[in-house]
Amino acid sequence: MKIVLENLTKKFGTVVGVDDISLTIEDGEFVAFLGPSGCGKTTTLLMIAGIYRPTAGIIRFDDRVINQVPPRDRNIGMVFQSYALYPHMTVFGNIAYPLKLKKVPKEEQAERVREVAAKMGIANLLDRRPAQLSGGQQQRVALGRALVKQPDVLLFDEPLSNLDARLRLSMRGEIRHLQKELGITAVYVTHDQVEAMTMADRIAVMNLGKLQAFDTPDDLYDRPKTLFIAGFVGNPPMNFLEVEVQREGDTFYAVNSALRVPVPAERGEAAARHGGQVIMGIRPEDITISETGTVRGEVFVVEPLGRDDLLDVHLDAANRLSVLADPAVHLRAGDTVTLALDTRKVQFFDPQTELSLLWR
Amino acid sequence: MATFTSSAPTQRPLTSQEYRYRQAETGELVGQAIFTALVVVLFFELGVVLFKVLGPLIQSSPRFWGSDLKVDETLTRALANALTLLAPFAAYVTCGARLRELAAFDRRRAVRVALAATIIVYVLVTMGQYVFQVGPFAEKPSLEMSFRQTDEGVLVTGVVPGGTADRAGIKAGDLIVAIGRAPTTADELKEKIALAKFESKIGLRVSRDGQEELMPVEVVPVMEIGLAPLVGGLILALILAVIALFWPGGLTPYVLMVVIMIPLLVGYLWLIVATFSYRTEGLLPVDASGNFGGFTLRNWEFLTRPGTSSYPSIWRITLNTLVIASLMAIIVLTVSSMAGYALSRMNFPGRRAFLSLTLILHGFPAVTLLIAIFFILRNIGKVPVLGDYFGFNTRGGIALVMVAFEMPLGVWLMKGFFDNIPWDMERSALIDGASRWRTFWEILLPQIRPGILALGTFAFISGWGAYLIPQTYSVGTRTATLAVYITQLTGDTAPVNWNEVAAVGLYQMIPVFIIFIFAQEYLLNIYAGGTKGTS
Ligand SMILES: Nc1ncnc2c1ncn2[C@@H]1O[C@H](COP(=O)(O)OP(=O)(O)OP(=O)(O)O)[C@@H](O)[C@H]1O
Ligand SMILES: [Mg+2]
Repeated sequence: MKIVLENLTKKFGTVVGVDDISLTIEDGEFVAFLGPSGCGKTTTLLMIAGIYRPTAGIIRFDDRVINQVPPRDRNIGMVFQSYALYPHMTVFGNIAYPLKLKKVPKEEQAERVREVAAKMGIANLLDRRPAQLSGGQQQRVALGRALVKQPDVLLFDEPLSNLDARLRLSMRGEIRHLQKELGITAVYVTHDQVEAMTMADRIAVMNLGKLQAFDTPDDLYDRPKTLFIAGFVGNPPMNFLEVEVQREGDTFYAVNSALRVPVPAERGEAAARHGGQVIMGIRPEDITISETGTVRGEVFVVEPLGRDDLLDVHLDAANRLSVLADPAVHLRAGDTVTLALDTRKVQFFDPQTELSLLWR
Repeated sequence: MATFTSSAPTQRPLTSQEYRYRQAETGELVGQAIFTALVVVLFFELGVVLFKVLGPLIQSSPRFWGSDLKVDETLTRALANALTLLAPFAAYVTCGARLRELAAFDRRRAVRVALAATIIVYVLVTMGQYVFQVGPFAEKPSLEMSFRQTDEGVLVTGVVPGGTADRAGIKAGDLIVAIGRAPTTADELKEKIALAKFESKIGLRVSRDGQEELMPVEVVPVMEIGLAPLVGGLILALILAVIALFWPGGLTPYVLMVVIMIPLLVGYLWLIVATFSYRTEGLLPVDASGNFGGFTLRNWEFLTRPGTSSYPSIWRITLNTLVIASLMAIIVLTVSSMAGYALSRMNFPGRRAFLSLTLILHGFPAVTLLIAIFFILRNIGKVPVLGDYFGFNTRGGIALVMVAFEMPLGVWLMKGFFDNIPWDMERSALIDGASRWRTFWEILLPQIRPGILALGTFAFISGWGAYLIPQTYSVGTRTATLAVYITQLTGDTAPVNWNEVAAVGLYQMIPVFIIFIFAQEYLLNIYAGGTKGTS
């Protein structure tokens, strides 16, 4: 089932929850809605589900406008962050409930529940109440309940955020696998970047109710179209420096008070064409500490991340860089380091419009 | 902190509690015991305040556990007095009980600590009693003179100079021959004084030099402190503390509970005994000549008395009451669960105004609305068909009015229960394919079952015991309820058989008792503020 949102808007009184969103989710696609808290992800999802009525705009399933269609006629399955299991029913009752409402015959209900339960690995829990299950088991029951009616669309609202890290990792894989196997269109709301990047075919990045970008994970990471996307996607976030790009012969240099580094010709040219001050973006992993480096700075803060140390390096009063360093080097605040910048993947943005000078 | 020296080698490892005791200094332990004891005293005093200050309020409320028995003023006063009396003893017991664990492995130290704590608590309590002039420091009525019995009469042996007797003109050596006109003895005079109110006057007929004269003497409050009650009290305190220290485990709460419950239990016991006897003197059933005995089933004859033209039989009345109470429970439940749902889940104009209005109505004294409602009911009565069931002097009309008074509480309560159910629950049901109505019925209602049971019971009991509204809006007897029946028994044209009134009251209370036994868990949900129960 294809889902089309056209100029979708939702206002709560004067609060704008979702602001003029348009996008198309292809049949069988796995789309993640990613954005900071309060940006309108859940609101969008609930409009797709039919719980909220849009203030303006159109929602289509395939070619059918479904704005006025009540939730039960949309054939969707939804998994909530709180799982929303019915506490007074057994696991069996919970999973069978959608079938019961569809008036599926009793024997078929039992058969389909057992089938789903087996797939979810909860076949032995069917007689229990939700209160007698662990968080991970409840999660599976919720997923089973969403799947049992063979929905056209699966909606997830931060379904994994209450699980521990290890379980989250394995559930990611499972959900992704199930969705591909069944070929169901899925919309997955999360504020966890890694989750979105690893699971989704495409990611819709939202901020303050607006759609910022709708692209594949690779495009978002390597070809960010706006400054917001560049800063939002990736962890630790991209460094931004105000530079001027100058041409010397065939080589382009990014120059400011603290550095002068060569940049690839095609990228440098686009920036030089814009002229004057531009914002250069470079990811922490593209910066290395090396003797042969050309940029000098003082280590200001050392933040151990486990595998790496995250350094906050001040080049001068106006320029600072986040840098990943090997903990074995034992750098401390106050040390002076020289940095080598790998500029093959640098980004350039217009400081006024905050749009990329490279991609559009 | 004392250092931990293991002078006596311990055979087994210390529990953490024991370790803490060892580490604690004696002063610290004493302090803890005193603190706990004073908290207990505070609790008792709160009770006293409750009964003394709220007593009049409790008495003015028309119902007592759903029956029509009024709370007697003497009962609340007796309860307050009992609590005042018990408070110090509870404190001493606490001093001991607090140290039981210490006593389990270091008896001598525990006794020392308990005695020290008790003495301090005793001093504190006694000081408190002095400040508030209670206990041994209570003021007693007195004439400020001493006297003794002689052959001629009561001889005044001394008067306090400047005291009330002195002021009235009585001198030592006077002979008191009578109080007013009644001849008296020293014992009778003593009793008379003890029972007299402050500032009242006792007229003493005094014979002096052969002449008799009536001298009215004002009764004044005098504080007499004997050493004996103080020392006796201290010794008793110490004994109590030591007993509590070594009292076999686990019994203390029950003992305390029973002691506190005694006034209540005695009340019920008296009620039951009274219904089976001709007459009672105190708790004892007595026959006509005042001897123990006189049991009878006479008071329960109302159960078999057939209905008369003026009054229907008890069974008819019970049925009336049952119908009204059940109607009430059903209507209250239906309307307030739906209203509570709407108020909890939907946003509509006037929602806030409606909520605050119902809250005001909840606090509105029903009495002030009686006349207005009378007119409304009469007008409903004029509507065809509807009027036959919900007009003036119909069971439906009475239930309607009582429901209206019960509704604000119900609506707020149900709203609270619905507020506790996460939104996602019903969203999930809607997406699963349920209609809004079905979601309400199959998903939400089962989750507020404790609330429903509680409110239903509550409404039923309040309908069962209702008096004011059935009495006001039912003329004659067709729609009388049990409470109304009881008032009819106490009409003022014939002598009242109070024991029969007690019997009907007890009869009326039986279902309430039964419901309480089964539903107390749910009712606590209301009284303790709508906590969510899962089952
Ligand atoms: N029922 C409502 N009434 C009023 N405002 C609402 C309502 N629901 C959401 N909002 C507002 O709309 C905005 C978007 O909310 P939404 O729940 O969609 O955020 P979200 O992206 O899901 O955030 P989170 O990651 O914290 O779940 C927020 O500013 C929120 O305050
Ligand atoms: Mg959300």
